[in-house]
Amino acid sequence: MAMAFHFHPLVASRVHFSPLPFAAATGAPSPSSSVAIAAHYHHHGRRRFSAIVATATTTEFNFKAYMEERAVAVNRALDAAIPAGGLPAALHDAMRYALLAGGKRVRPALCLAACAVVGGPESWAMPAAAAVEMVHTMSLVHDDLPCMDDDDLRRGKPTCHVVYGEPIAVLAGDALLSLSFHHMASVGSYPPAVDPEKHPARVVRAIGELARCIGSEGLVAGQVVDLEMTGTSQTVPLELLEYIHLHKTAALLEASVVIGAIIGGGTDEQIEALRKYARSIGLLFQVVDDILDVTKSSEELGKTAGKDLASDKTTYPKLLGLAKSREFAEKLVSDATEQLACFDEEKAAPLLHLANYIAHRQN
Amino acid sequence: MAMSFHFHPLAASRVHFSPLPFAAAAGAPSPSSSVAIAAHHQHGRRRFSAIVATAAAASAATTEFDFKAYMGERAVAVNRALDAAVPAGEPPAALHDAMRYALLAGGKRVRPALCLAACAVVGGPEPWAMPAAAAVEMVHTMSLVHDDLPCMDDDDLRRGKPTCHVVYGEPIAVLAGDALLSLSFHHMASVGSYPPDVDPEKHPARVVRAIGELARCIGSEGLVAGQVVDLEMTGTSETVPLERLEYIHLHKTAALLEASVVIGAIIGGGTDEQIERLRKYARSIGLLFQVVDDILDVTKSSEELGKTAGKDLASDKTTYPKLLGLEKSREFAEELLSDAVEQLACFDKEKAAPLLHLANYIAHRQN
Repeated sequence: MAMAFHFHPLVASRVHFSPLPFAAATGAPSPSSSVAIAAHYHHHGRRRFSAIVATATTTEFNFKAYMEERAVAVNRALDAAIPAGGLPAALHDAMRYALLAGGKRVRPALCLAACAVVGGPESWAMPAAAAVEMVHTMSLVHDDLPCMDDDDLRRGKPTCHVVYGEPIAVLAGDALLSLSFHHMASVGSYPPAVDPEKHPARVVRAIGELARCIGSEGLVAGQVVDLEMTGTSQTVPLELLEYIHLHKTAALLEASVVIGAIIGGGTDEQIEALRKYARSIGLLFQVVDDILDVTKSSEELGKTAGKDLASDKTTYPKLLGLAKSREFAEKLVSDATEQLACFDEEKAAPLLHLANYIAHRQN
Repeated sequence: MAMSFHFHPLAASRVHFSPLPFAAAAGAPSPSSSVAIAAHHQHGRRRFSAIVATAAAASAATTEFDFKAYMGERAVAVNRALDAAVPAGEPPAALHDAMRYALLAGGKRVRPALCLAACAVVGGPEPWAMPAAAAVEMVHTMSLVHDDLPCMDDDDLRRGKPTCHVVYGEPIAVLAGDALLSLSFHHMASVGSYPPDVDPEKHPARVVRAIGELARCIGSEGLVAGQVVDLEMTGTSETVPLERLEYIHLHKTAALLEASVVIGAIIGGGTDEQIERLRKYARSIGLLFQVVDDILDVTKSSEELGKTAGKDLASDKTTYPKLLGLEKSREFAEELLSDAVEQLACFDKEKAAPLLHLANYIAHRQN
């Protein structure tokens, strides 16, 4: 039977999973220390969002440099994955235009960091890191189409269908999706040092995980439900809002982390802890997005004004209030951080900082 | 390095590949006989039905094989696998309904049949290839759903039924196509899709290779590339040159037929030599499919073919009969069939019977 997978709205964000005792993690690398989590005992009604900064305990780690280095490496891999000048030119140009339009490369960074935290060399996960960015780009290209979100701008640039036309944008999205699997499945994508006996089964598992998180159990499902609510005037209930966000955003973030851990040779226990981490930060991403929407103007966020999807009309601040939304965000960071407790502190630093970055970003 | 792949227009159809000497095919199953290919003296007024003589000679050796029953059984098995692969009744309902509507709309299941037959011809059990057979049909369906969109072919009917975007709307059709494409890879990559008797040591690497092959044949080196070039020629009034027409057909149609056969052979444990021979077979029948399509378009009314009238893609305006003439097109079809049959010469005759009959079926179909 195919791996059964059910999204339980709220479970990733509300149920508090205790980390496994160390003894249960057979084969896990020995942690030299655990990440300290500062406890806050005194509660007061006017806690500010910035209080969440207290969880950052690894100040010697240069997160900004880390992200820039990873973005450069990922951009190089993406540039190499699609030939410039290949035929048909319009298709390859459109794919490159969409894929190389910049971006923070958060999903690839998560993938590489997850590979490293389980003890694998980052280069093993680079094809998977490129693949998740291709998938992310595909979803943006199709989401921007006139029959869907109908966006003309993204990151301040004209969208793919505006530049190349709707037909090429549909097909470029299809080609990027196929390329993500081709790239991950190609033996030549990987460095020679991968474990030749274990690597094929890991790649198969990673491909299955990525495919599942894209389709009718993942990203596409979230977009469908989001569109379905567009025509109605009713407020989306909290459970449905979380369904949309868990599928539309969190699923691919989860895939990024999980496939990095699989390719890196992580144990099942490590992979599941990282899956929980990823779901928490995936939901965190959207909660913070909603908080920023309330507290910042649309010009600062660089988005097209007047969007009308269900997940834009209904937000956490609208359903929970701003204070409760901030508390929820803080809880999600705490949940995510807790899942990293069983890993080596130094190796876990990038993931810890990524969680903090998602929580504290300004756009 | 990723497997380098270059479509050479004309190579699959014009270059005559000699079969490898038997000794070179190390590990190949011992053929009990080769398929006889009757030679025909050339004469200027050969009729298309003359190709039947080749088919009759080639298929005479296997008259006990019931092709109609074979295809009926395979279609039933494939439909059962497809029905099981897409949940009915799970949210989001509109998405799953659209996927099922498109995927379970009937069809001859030729690509899945090719996949299963290729697995069998190299000695693998057909159940090993069933997930791949389902996957190629999902991909085929995805390409039809996206091709039918208003911004592309803008078709309202397919096989006499309203197309996916007509029933469910454009947004759901775009997303259903994406979901079917994802599902094809998910289904092939899932351990639980396969029967327990697959070789546990060799199976993972075979699956990876098959997934790479399928993905390559879909994307900017395959199916999508063909569709893009077809669209690019739509606005022009110029006739498409032969090389370009073959590029379109090799990518838009032949690439997925090739993937169907090749991944069946990979999963079945075929040797590299067997796989390459079957690749050549698949390219020949892939192009044959389109040449026959064009011949039928000239000789039959659009009602009989069940297609929407008035299509205006490049590959609909320019055809082999228009470029080569009807007679030369028929000769070309016969040559392609002969090339395909020749690639099967080194396989066990009984095991190769389905592929032989599939080639004949493609050559002689009436719609």
